[in-house]
Amino acid sequence: MREMIVNELTQATQELIREFARFLPRLLVMLIVVLVGWIIAYLVKWILRSILRLVNFDKLSEGAGAAQLLNKAALPSSTELVSRFAFWVAWLGFVLLGTSALGILGMQEYVSRFFIFLPRVIVALFFMFFGLLAASFFSRAALLWAVNTNMPSPRLLSSAVRVLITIFTASAVFEELGLADSTMLLAFAIVMGAVMLGLAIAFGIGGQHLARRFLESRFAPEKKEVKEGEDELSPL
Amino acid sequence: MSDESVLTDEFLRQLINVGEADILVGVPTYNNAATVGQVVQTIRAGLLKYFPRERAVIVNADGGSRDQTPDLVRGASINDAQVSTDIQALRTLHSISAEYPGEPSTGTALRTILASADLLRASACAVISPDSTTIEPDWIERLLRPVYQGTYDFVTPLYRRHKFDGLLIRNLVYPMTRAFYGKRVKEPYASEFAFSGPLGTHFLGQEIWTHEAGRTGTEISLTISAITGGYKLAQTFLGAKPHVDARSADLVAAMRQTVGALFWSLEPNYQLWSSHADSQVIPTLSPGQEVTLEPLRINRRRLLGMFHSGVAELEPVLKQILSPPTISELQRIATLEEDEFSYGDELWARTVYEFAASYHKSVISRDHIVQALAPLYRGRAFTFLVENRESTGEEVEQNIESFCLTCERLKPSLVELWNGRK
Amino acid sequence: MPQDALWYKDAVIYQVHVRTFFDTNGDGIGDFRGLAQKLDYLQELGANAIWLMPFFPSPLRDDGYDIADYTSVHPNYGNLDDFKLFLNAAHERGIRVIVEMVLNHTSDQHPWFQESRSSRDNPRRDWYVWSDTDTKYQGVRIIFVDTELSNWAWDPVSKAYYWHRFFSHQPDLNYDNPAVREEMWKVMQFWLDLGVDGFRLDAVPYLVEREGTSCENLPETHAVLRELRAKLDEQFPGKMLLAEANQWPAHLRAYFAEGDEFHMAFHFPLMPRMFMGLKLEDRKPITEILKQTPQIPQLCQWCLFLRNHDELTLEMVTDMERDYMYDQYARDKHMRINVGIRRRLAPLLDNDRRRIELMNGMLMSFPGTPIIYYGDEIGMGDNIYLGDRNGVRTPMQWDGGWNGGFSAADPESLYSPLMLNPVYGYQAVNVQSQKRFDHSLLSWMKRIVKVRKSTPVFGRGTIDFLYPENHRILAYMRQLEKESILVVNNLSSTAQAVELDLRRFKGNILIEMFGRNIFPRVGDLPYLLTLGPYQFYWFRLRKI
Repeated sequence: MREMIVNELTQATQELIREFARFLPRLLVMLIVVLVGWIIAYLVKWILRSILRLVNFDKLSEGAGAAQLLNKAALPSSTELVSRFAFWVAWLGFVLLGTSALGILGMQEYVSRFFIFLPRVIVALFFMFFGLLAASFFSRAALLWAVNTNMPSPRLLSSAVRVLITIFTASAVFEELGLADSTMLLAFAIVMGAVMLGLAIAFGIGGQHLARRFLESRFAPEKKEVKEGEDELSPL
Repeated sequence: MSDESVLTDEFLRQLINVGEADILVGVPTYNNAATVGQVVQTIRAGLLKYFPRERAVIVNADGGSRDQTPDLVRGASINDAQVSTDIQALRTLHSISAEYPGEPSTGTALRTILASADLLRASACAVISPDSTTIEPDWIERLLRPVYQGTYDFVTPLYRRHKFDGLLIRNLVYPMTRAFYGKRVKEPYASEFAFSGPLGTHFLGQEIWTHEAGRTGTEISLTISAITGGYKLAQTFLGAKPHVDARSADLVAAMRQTVGALFWSLEPNYQLWSSHADSQVIPTLSPGQEVTLEPLRINRRRLLGMFHSGVAELEPVLKQILSPPTISELQRIATLEEDEFSYGDELWARTVYEFAASYHKSVISRDHIVQALAPLYRGRAFTFLVENRESTGEEVEQNIESFCLTCERLKPSLVELWNGRK
Repeated sequence: MPQDALWYKDAVIYQVHVRTFFDTNGDGIGDFRGLAQKLDYLQELGANAIWLMPFFPSPLRDDGYDIADYTSVHPNYGNLDDFKLFLNAAHERGIRVIVEMVLNHTSDQHPWFQESRSSRDNPRRDWYVWSDTDTKYQGVRIIFVDTELSNWAWDPVSKAYYWHRFFSHQPDLNYDNPAVREEMWKVMQFWLDLGVDGFRLDAVPYLVEREGTSCENLPETHAVLRELRAKLDEQFPGKMLLAEANQWPAHLRAYFAEGDEFHMAFHFPLMPRMFMGLKLEDRKPITEILKQTPQIPQLCQWCLFLRNHDELTLEMVTDMERDYMYDQYARDKHMRINVGIRRRLAPLLDNDRRRIELMNGMLMSFPGTPIIYYGDEIGMGDNIYLGDRNGVRTPMQWDGGWNGGFSAADPESLYSPLMLNPVYGYQAVNVQSQKRFDHSLLSWMKRIVKVRKSTPVFGRGTIDFLYPENHRILAYMRQLEKESILVVNNLSSTAQAVELDLRRFKGNILIEMFGRNIFPRVGDLPYLLTLGPYQFYWFRLRKI
């Protein structure tokens, strides 16, 4: 009996050693891939960082208001962030590639799914970036216009513009990522529809005078805001 | 962009027929049929009276008017193909009109006029605004004679205006142009001015035409270009400033054309403006009474109201542009009662300088920076109106002069801001 | 001589004073024998008519315009036989002779005036215009403003005033007197019988005076002239009358009447405007005066000239134009006399060959009969330091030798000093040297006269201006029946491009008349021409 146990053990151990020996090269390959991947990812980060510095990406993102956000969150600058993100994405890709070399079933599928998903993430990030940029720009433009034409509640208008654009951006991002896209789309449509309806009612009933004033200032510029008995001054 | 692109084939053909000119008067138009007829006839009378022997041409750069503007301009020409008139003229006088390509814009129109002057080799040129209803024939003499004689290269006008007219010029554009560029040009944004042939060629070679800011604020960019180019400047008194219509009373548009272009010009000319601190007088030819004092009723309160709303509502924007001490100072004066309110010289100068520095650094979109200055300017305008309510012409001039000196004094702070912190 | 009633329309007239041309008897003054000897030269030049300035006996206080005997020849120039010799020689060469006749006044040395002034009862008293006071005909303008203060002069002999529109030694004849009219016709008849082909009648606007008028261009004056013309037509068909009337075109029209007064008249107002257009580099003065020129009867003709023996008159221009002309052409005050400029063609044009050619080109292509003033065909200069208008009446320069080939006499005895400076002097400018070269001004003048005479269009055709937008180009069509000629002149000192609207001549080929090369055919598009400084083209239009 002792011999049987020893035999079984020996066989089992040998099996294990054999399996391990078969597995070892694959592990080696994976480690090599990971190492090479790290180097490449680092290169990508470095190149991307140089490019972004060249096109003054920081400045652009300042315009988007991203800089302020990042500052508040104690994150590094946009250039740095994007470069590091690129590094991690690249390296993760290589890691996954490496793990697929291990030949573990089921991993392949996850790996390929990841690589299919990746471009969409990048596109979504683009949308988000430019959407935020636009939201910030147009909300500020609306604010300045409202202040300079003496409209009431300019901040409200500015925020409304920012919210609208942000919602639109968010729904575009979600759709791109494929996360509950139809829900988001529907929600967006409902929100937009409600806002429009509300504005129409407000203008039509409640805001008659405001509407008239708005239209007048837009389409009948001869009627100035100067009251009766006032004289005209020209800044130039 | 090459010169030829502003001259259509038709325009070029007309220029070939003119050939060469000694004097060129340019009139940029867009739907000005109400006033341009009278203006062009007056220009013609001036040319016939003061330059009867010189080869003169009136060049109209039109943006695509749908009214009778081009025909009215052409009607001023004198040639032998016409049925004989009573006009005593030694020579043919061409009065040509053609449309420039693209959308109507003063910048393109001026560029077309400059190109015409260059091709026709005119020695003395003038630009007259088509709504100068107060123009007299002797404006032609006053503007062009100093240039034609070769004494000066660039002649800007001086007008008889109400002491409260042209507040933006008096409170911002003139003092700043003077402080930055060192020449006391009282009307740096001129709708009538004269320049010499060589200066015109210099203008054409500038960067103005390829940048949005330059194209919007062409008039002041040309003035700055004449100053930085070291040309001989003078100003001459003309007469009453023409009454302007509502469109040009839009403050933001006016600021884009003046302040926007001014700030933009600081970039390439940094070496020039940062290296000196004082300013020089430029000769005033044929002086005249510049300030009239008829009583005007102005709604000052609205100005102050817009200042308040500007400071309050634009706070997040202003925080990106101005330094904290300046913002808090502004917020402080915003709390003052109307009769105590005062937007002082030093604060205003600092405000503008900080705006200039922020513009240079593009802390936010540059156009937004210019727009953000508008409500603050209104506060300053209010102060000016209040302080000069009872003033005479001389006192107004003195107040403006002291503000200018303040600007000059504080200029080094701008240089610091430009280079350093923030 | 060929019998052609309208010969004056095809004429190229050479204006000369016999005194200036050629001296054969060594007295320093040109004479008729000399002029006869030089007719070959004129024939070669192409002139087919000569206008002789007054050669009658005269005290010569107004260069012969003060006549003391109407039917003789001043002994300085020869005698009547010499004149006949000359006249026949001219006719042999096909050259007609136009003689000057001063109708308006005589010299105070004329026997008629001597008689008239001798007493108030003299039969010839009424032959002149006498008055006891000098207040009649108030306000009438003085013509020789530099020398005369009044149109009346006091005669100490008969103790009365006599009327004179010109110099005080030139009393006006009284044309209200039929005897005067009869006698003047007899004078003209005398010369016509000898064989002269026409008269240039001097100072015709001033014949008759009437109170309360300007005493110029009066209907009575025209009646006198028509009377003369009627007699002429009756007795001497084919002879020509040319009017010297320095008036605006509208007034000039009256001298043609219905074709029953003068055959020709000088177009005075055009000439200064040609010079003005050249300096302005603008055709406007020229086209405007020609537009204002009235139509004249079919038989009549304008007489055109660039310069003549008088000053370049600036009477018929505006003040502004006169100032401009003075500043451009006569900066030196010495050059100005009366209301004009006393300079020759070449000095006025700075001796610029191109401008001289252009001006002659216009002269030969405008509607009218051209006159060449002696010496201008070789580009002679002037001497503004001689008195009156004598600076443009210096001796003809034939060669570079003794007295410029004009006379064998001592240089000091010549009627006038020669031109001596290196530019215009006789050694630089003379017929002999210019004859030798094809490119000389003289050779060029011969060529242009030849081209001019090659077609009747220039002399007889209509004129239609083209108004190209380039105002420095003067362009017009000359047309006669089926023949059309396009003339394009560049009045500016720089090269020019011009587009001409020739649509109504579509399909015609342009043939340049000097070289006879073909130019492109006229199509639908505007016809583009380029011209060098002061260049001109004459194109014959042909449809083949």
